[in-house]
Amino acid sequence: MGKLEGKVACITGGTRSIGRAMADAFVAEGAKVVVNGRDAEKGQRCLEEMGAGDDAAFFAGDASEQSTVEGLIDFTIETYGQLDICCLNSGGVKMTAPVAQMTDEEWTLEVDWNLNHVFWGMRRALQHMIPRESGRILVTSSVEGKLGKPGIPGYAATKHAVNGLMKAAAQEVGTLGITVNSILPGLIETDIVRETGPESAIAMGLDGYDALIDLFTQESAIKRPNRVEEVAAVAVLLASDAGRNITGNMFPVDGGTMPY
Amino acid sequence: MGLLDGQVACVTGGTRGIGRGTAEAFLREGASVVVNGRSEEKGARALEEMGGGDQVHFIAGDVKSRGGCEAIVNGTVEHFGRIDILFANAGGAKDHAPVAELTDASMQDSLEWNFWHTFWTMQTALGHMIPQGSGRIIAMSSVEGKAGKPGIAIYVAAKHAINGLVKSAAQEVGTLGITVNAVCPGAIETDIMKAEGPGAAEAMGLESYEALLDIFAQQSAIKRLNEVTDVAEVCVLLASEAGAGITGSLLSIDGGTSPY
Repeated sequence: MGKLEGKVACITGGTRSIGRAMADAFVAEGAKVVVNGRDAEKGQRCLEEMGAGDDAAFFAGDASEQSTVEGLIDFTIETYGQLDICCLNSGGVKMTAPVAQMTDEEWTLEVDWNLNHVFWGMRRALQHMIPRESGRILVTSSVEGKLGKPGIPGYAATKHAVNGLMKAAAQEVGTLGITVNSILPGLIETDIVRETGPESAIAMGLDGYDALIDLFTQESAIKRPNRVEEVAAVAVLLASDAGRNITGNMFPVDGGTMPY
Repeated sequence: MGLLDGQVACVTGGTRGIGRGTAEAFLREGASVVVNGRSEEKGARALEEMGGGDQVHFIAGDVKSRGGCEAIVNGTVEHFGRIDILFANAGGAKDHAPVAELTDASMQDSLEWNFWHTFWTMQTALGHMIPQGSGRIIAMSSVEGKAGKPGIAIYVAAKHAINGLVKSAAQEVGTLGITVNAVCPGAIETDIMKAEGPGAAEAMGLESYEALLDIFAQQSAIKRLNEVTDVAEVCVLLASEAGAGITGSLLSIDGGTSPY
């Protein structure tokens, strides 16, 4: 008997890395899952690799667009009849820069991708969950949701913002059987970090990608990056019945990086 | 296949309440468990009720002395051959009073029961875990380890101190495969709470024990108290392999009470 038997989840940015690990863990615990990603081909590959048959589906679209996020939630409900667990996981940066050099284009992208996406998804999911008086909303924040490194101001600002959004929403629906939490991972070497890390390192005034990884890991107690499985295990706990009394919480998975 | 197969755990104050619930969860996940308490008779009854056979063992002892704490942790190693998980759970406070009227004796008692006990058991456990190159230490803190209510300063101070101890220790052993975390639950109606709650309510200037419970519930988002299993399942996660990347954390299990 899995911990999520009979539950339905959707995950933005679910075909790879953290989102994918959540999807795999949810399916292993008996849930049905819709994963989202921009690339239909990668989505199909993801479904094949997951091997969950009818218990997993893919919804294509860019999570920085409102139509995708709302579409994902509607599609999940249409496909599986309900939505119990909404993971607003997608996020990142493209061409980050220090504040003085930040372009409006990049800033807007980061706000849409990291913050607005979470708001759009949370609002749509809550409209479905409130009448049912049950649900779980999980937001993937970051250690940068409590800290702030130079060169990634948009990321730090938006990850802080989703924590505030999460706290307010948790208070709004606390007595309705719905929990709202964020997970704050330390650096994880995901595909997106590998893709955009070299550019981020330059913006942060570092020597290269390896120096970026080193900076994050040296700030932790464990002196290594975190792992996607570590985040997925926390997501399962928060999504399960055992997580019903944990809400409004910024759950750290950061190897001892954040001071509070 | 349990999440803690082959592991050995030691739970102080493990015959009742949160300690007992967590000991049972550890047992369910395949660990061998030592539970500690002051009373031989209550210990024997706990073992009977838990029904864990040879997988569970009781060590009588008072955690308010270094000798008692060392005997509990070393006794675990003597009985089961090792210690992988320490849950320094025992604690509480009695003879509450506002700071202006506090006696040295009640402050001393609370510090020994909560803080010194955590330090003594942690230090003894680290003596085994550091050479072993692995281990999990979980300290029982409280929502009062992050905030402070009037009238219960002896408890608030001790729980804040535990959180500081946890953070430093986590940094010290972060690369040695050992994690050190604190769990910070909201109010839970355990036997200790029932015993000491009325006195705490009086020191806080409240009308009754029920008024005390109501304050805790009303400060949360869920407007109800937490439950033993909430804490037990977080402890399982921290103790498991998936918890390897979580250390130095003060994990709120408080239904959305703590602001950080």
